[in-house]
Amino acid sequence: MRRIGNSAIATVTVVALCSGVWLLRSAGSEQPPPQPAAAEGRPDPGEERLSAPALPPSPPTRIRIPSIRVNAPLMGLGLTPSGSLDVPPSREKNLAGWYEAGTTPGESGTAIVAGHVDNTEGPAVFYDLGALRKGSIIEVDRRDGGVAVFTVDAIEVYQATNFPDKKVYGAARRPELRVITCGGGYSRSTGYQGNVVVFAHLTGSR
Amino acid sequence: MRRHARLSAGAVTGAALAVAAVSGLAVPAYGAEDAVAAVRPSGSATGTLEVYPSSVVPGGHVSVNTKACGTKASAAGDASAVGAGAFPLAPSAHEGDAIGQFRVPESAQPGTYEIVADCAAGGRRVKGDLIVALGSAQGQLQPRGSVKTGVGGALGADPVRTAAGVAALAVAAAGGTWLLHRRARGDGI
Repeated sequence: MRRIGNSAIATVTVVALCSGVWLLRSAGSEQPPPQPAAAEGRPDPGEERLSAPALPPSPPTRIRIPSIRVNAPLMGLGLTPSGSLDVPPSREKNLAGWYEAGTTPGESGTAIVAGHVDNTEGPAVFYDLGALRKGSIIEVDRRDGGVAVFTVDAIEVYQATNFPDKKVYGAARRPELRVITCGGGYSRSTGYQGNVVVFAHLTGSR
Repeated sequence: MRRHARLSAGAVTGAALAVAAVSGLAVPAYGAEDAVAAVRPSGSATGTLEVYPSSVVPGGHVSVNTKACGTKASAAGDASAVGAGAFPLAPSAHEGDAIGQFRVPESAQPGTYEIVADCAAGGRRVKGDLIVALGSAQGQLQPRGSVKTGVGGALGADPVRTAAGVAALAVAAAGGTWLLHRRARGDGI
């Protein structure tokens, strides 16, 4: 009887230890998503380099950012009744969206892509967006079979209370891309306080 | 072919033009809802003609594509409603969609126009809407404000799971202590 009692206690101990460790690990990481350093901020307008020749409009199908291991399909996004950009359904962890009433990525103008930094389960498609650096490559597959290749110019964080609409969404003469996710600090009552915005321009296509 | 113009030239006042020019927004406020409503259903449904961008300013380039003609099929496009005439749709590398392009003339008036394409085989006709908006060279309805792209699920601990985890570790500690005690007493494990 004693032997059985010891085995039972040992088993319970091991199971409790494993499940305790698993529960604490899955309860959530303590690390907030990476945020860009000030040095990754936007260059002066005078520093803007020339882009590759603009492509004809074609809707995008997929976005790839190799340096942060992003490879996600793109869905069309509209606007919310308040005029802000709508977002993909948050339960889809690996899904981003593009503003389909706007510029298609690769054509002249400002194309806009947005995706979640996390959902209730944990990190989502653009969790590491704030870890991008100037010069990183972003590739967008297009429905015409081509690939638009963008190079990152800057990564900025903006607070929601003072969001620079014109800088982020405003028109551009060359083909540009914005990639947006949540960031800028988090509070339990109001959620993320702003957005991480990646600025990029077209540097090639294939 | 021009179905209906939601923003007829007559309805556009000088004031609205001035507001559009100053703000940089292509579409005056009363046109905004139309533009959004027309964009949403375009999706990637088969059997329709997808139009990108669905809202364009005069002089802008437009790309259309459809899956309705089958794979590796071509089609004859007609954008004469907006004054751009006929254009061809050819099979593309992407899933064999038929794809074509045209340019909206500078003289096009704001409004909603129907673009059609006739499949080369089978005689099927597909349609899509194109919105021509007022505005500057890059005029289009832009989003504003921040984007709600996170709920905080990647940071901070889930209180229920944390409590359960702590309780499980407490049980493990108690069990371990019990076993060690027995061993120390020489009860034999």
